[in-house]
Amino acid sequence: MMAPEFFYAAIIVMIGAFLALLRVFFGPSVPDRVVGVDTLNTLIVAGMVLLGAAYDRTIYIDIAIVYALLSYVGTLAIAKYLQGGLE
Amino acid sequence: MGLIVKTTARATIPLIGIFGAYVVSHGHLTPGGGFQGGATIAGAGILFLIAFGLGEMKRRYNHHLYSALEGLGGLVFLGAAMLGLGVAFFYNTLWHSGPVFNGQPGTLLSAGYLPVMNLVVGLKVFAGLVSAMVAIAAFRRWKE
Repeated sequence: MMAPEFFYAAIIVMIGAFLALLRVFFGPSVPDRVVGVDTLNTLIVAGMVLLGAAYDRTIYIDIAIVYALLSYVGTLAIAKYLQGGLE
Repeated sequence: MGLIVKTTARATIPLIGIFGAYVVSHGHLTPGGGFQGGATIAGAGILFLIAFGLGEMKRRYNHHLYSALEGLGGLVFLGAAMLGLGVAFFYNTLWHSGPVFNGQPGTLLSAGYLPVMNLVVGLKVFAGLVSAMVAIAAFRRWKE
């Protein structure tokens, strides 16, 4: 049972992710790129949930949860590096 | 790091650990398994190191314990593989004629030695990744 609305929503999220990717490519400073990657992570989680609904598979939501948790750790690691490293 | 990050880490580390344990223990039913779940639990360790710093991590981390756990993971994996050595190496004798792990396919206690192997691979990956990360974080030669 494929629902086309979820595919349309995923395409809209993909357009937003492409705009965030432009910020990652052309960001003049490093924090700009970090914020771009963080936005991209959140949009990818939204896309994963929407595609899981579109393909009608609940187990795809597990991957979205893991990605959301680990992207937080990754952004935190970059922030810690930018503010002066470990301790 | 700051107070907000520490408080968020106190709330998030058990969440990541429990979710990693879920991925490991349901490795034969849902996507994921030993390596993915172990890497997720190691992500909780990385979050602990980032949020609370290397000093707190060194106080909680025991090198001998983690080294022994990694070795134990590999040994139990080999032991589970040798359970059906009367027929062949990696013969799933727990599934064919075992006392446990022989339930209906699709339930948690099924699939023979696969849950055991997922658990020990998750333990091994977690211990190995956390040990490697602490070793890298403790390497301070540039600060002479």
